[in-house]
Amino acid sequence: MADLEARGIPTVGVATTEFIEGAAAQAKSLGIDPALVFIPHPVQDRTDDELKKLADDHLEAIVAMLVKAD
Amino acid sequence: MTVLLDPTSERSPTTRPRLPRPKRLDGLKIGILDIAKSRGDVFLHRLGERLTERGVAVTHYAKPTNTRVAPLPLRQQIAAEVDLVIEGLSD
Amino acid sequence: MTEDLPRDGLVAVVKRDCPTCVMAAPVLGDLARDAGLTVYTQDDLSFPETVPERIDDTSLDVSHRLKIEIVPTLIRFAEGREVDRTYGWDRGEWQRLSGVAGLGRDLPEARPGCGAKNVEPGVIERLKVRFNETGLRSRRIEIGEDEDEQEAMFARGWSDGLPLVPPTEERVLRMLDGTARDPQEVLGLVPPALAAATVEKIAINAVMAGCKPEYLPVVLAAVEAVLEESFAMHGVLATTMFVGPVVIVNGPIRRRIGMNAKGNALGQGNRANAAIGRALQLVIRNIGEGRPQEVDRATLGNPGKLTYCFAEDEEASSWEPLSVERGLAQGQSAVTVFAGYGLQGVVDQKSRDPESLSRSFAESLKTLSNVKHAPACDALLVVCPEHHRTFRLAGWSKARLYEELYRLCEIPGSDLVAGAKGIAGGGPASLAGKTVNKFRPGGIMIVRAGGDAGMFSGIIGGWSVGGPRGSLPVTKEVRP
Repeated sequence: MADLEARGIPTVGVATTEFIEGAAAQAKSLGIDPALVFIPHPVQDRTDDELKKLADDHLEAIVAMLVKAD
Repeated sequence: MTVLLDPTSERSPTTRPRLPRPKRLDGLKIGILDIAKSRGDVFLHRLGERLTERGVAVTHYAKPTNTRVAPLPLRQQIAAEVDLVIEGLSD
Repeated sequence: MTEDLPRDGLVAVVKRDCPTCVMAAPVLGDLARDAGLTVYTQDDLSFPETVPERIDDTSLDVSHRLKIEIVPTLIRFAEGREVDRTYGWDRGEWQRLSGVAGLGRDLPEARPGCGAKNVEPGVIERLKVRFNETGLRSRRIEIGEDEDEQEAMFARGWSDGLPLVPPTEERVLRMLDGTARDPQEVLGLVPPALAAATVEKIAINAVMAGCKPEYLPVVLAAVEAVLEESFAMHGVLATTMFVGPVVIVNGPIRRRIGMNAKGNALGQGNRANAAIGRALQLVIRNIGEGRPQEVDRATLGNPGKLTYCFAEDEEASSWEPLSVERGLAQGQSAVTVFAGYGLQGVVDQKSRDPESLSRSFAESLKTLSNVKHAPACDALLVVCPEHHRTFRLAGWSKARLYEELYRLCEIPGSDLVAGAKGIAGGGPASLAGKTVNKFRPGGIMIVRAGGDAGMFSGIIGGWSVGGPRGSLPVTKEVRP
């Protein structure tokens, strides 16, 4: 993600809530402030329909990280 | 860990700011990068469908393996082909 | 460990690499046995053999806290506080502090000690950093283990495009040793951000540029010079034109720090030339926030905006140095800053007399900026030694050459009229019949530099239209 932003491409990462602390630590050590959206953990055992619903539910939050907030 | 002294006037925060974002998605191309963790593909494809419905150009990419960073040629390709990226699904 | 310091008792700090400590070792043994002396060793744990329970202070923590400067040092504590100390070997003093008579019967009355390890150059900075006693005020930036230092500095925008020396606290402390000035002294406000340039901030950028501490006074003088209002640093930075600050150094400092005034003086390869000019540019970039495609709008810029600094070749010159010409005393180290760009070569391998050579210079000078521009920008003429020789042999002072050049740079108005020479730009038809000088009075500066072989002088062009409406050159003394 940091690499793509360094190449001029605004990027948003999607991760499960399990990743919140890890993301914060990585961000701190790299001195960056990545745009992240968190979805509820776990995902491994979800059905396709459940995953699609998660995608629908979080679409706006993800898009909001890619456009300028006014 | 190395400690360096700040050579600047210190008017900005020490964290590098995010890139500025565009006002709207219209006319822009979104890349969706699958980092190859299980079940992420279903989630990401659904995002791609919904964005396509909105009229946004979407291209899907995938890392060959989730254990390493995306290879350089892939990153260069993405940076050349799209304007914005959604990367997932980390857990 | 400072926990071992006695509340009441004697302490000695020693090192093996000190003949006086070695000589006094038997006395240390006696005092350890008979008077409860605690001994700290700075370098070699096996020393002194005479004291079985000597304590390891190779980390120099205790030495630093006790402010040891000479070894051996003998200290008496009472009720948790130091009440007396002596250093070196002195029988009378050691007996007085210890209360033990007849010490070191085989030894001389007294013998001086040696420099303590904790105050050696390099060591003292490390200790100050460890004990947080640096007095440095700048924000600390932590670079995580995941990150490469170089990439971290590039990513934060600190670089002029080339790698930087990471400005650690130790390096900055050592850099600040290069000046007697207070690190918090403010030299001025750097445009465009108008942020304060403290000695400390300048030192950080000087470290990044690759300066040695002994270069710092020159960097400070250059910063002071460009911050003078008459230099118009904001305009010089923000312009669409080519210029950046060019630094010319005069006086004894040139040799002391090993600057190059000779072969390839305006080129690469000399650390002082390169790093001093670079440090100035990094100050403008990082403190002033002056960066290309932001406030710096230069269309092309010029390679000198990375670094452009050289020393004048004063030795064997029959001309006064630039700084003297500009009013400073002979022998006073100084910098002059000039808003300039590039290098226009003047090749003249044929002229045998000063008149002909002056014409070569003048014809080249008249093309600066545009042949139709007059008055045009200021110019810095760098006369190489072989060319200078022609003037010297003919007995031409610098003043004589200036006079000749200004005379030769009078241009017939008809050449400057709009449309003349098929070039659209120019002045009104009424100019015909008059003459206009290419330069304002004082618009040319002359310095001597370059290798001894080669008849190739150079012209450094200036900014816009020379004079008070643009940028004026500034000369500043180099202070320690």
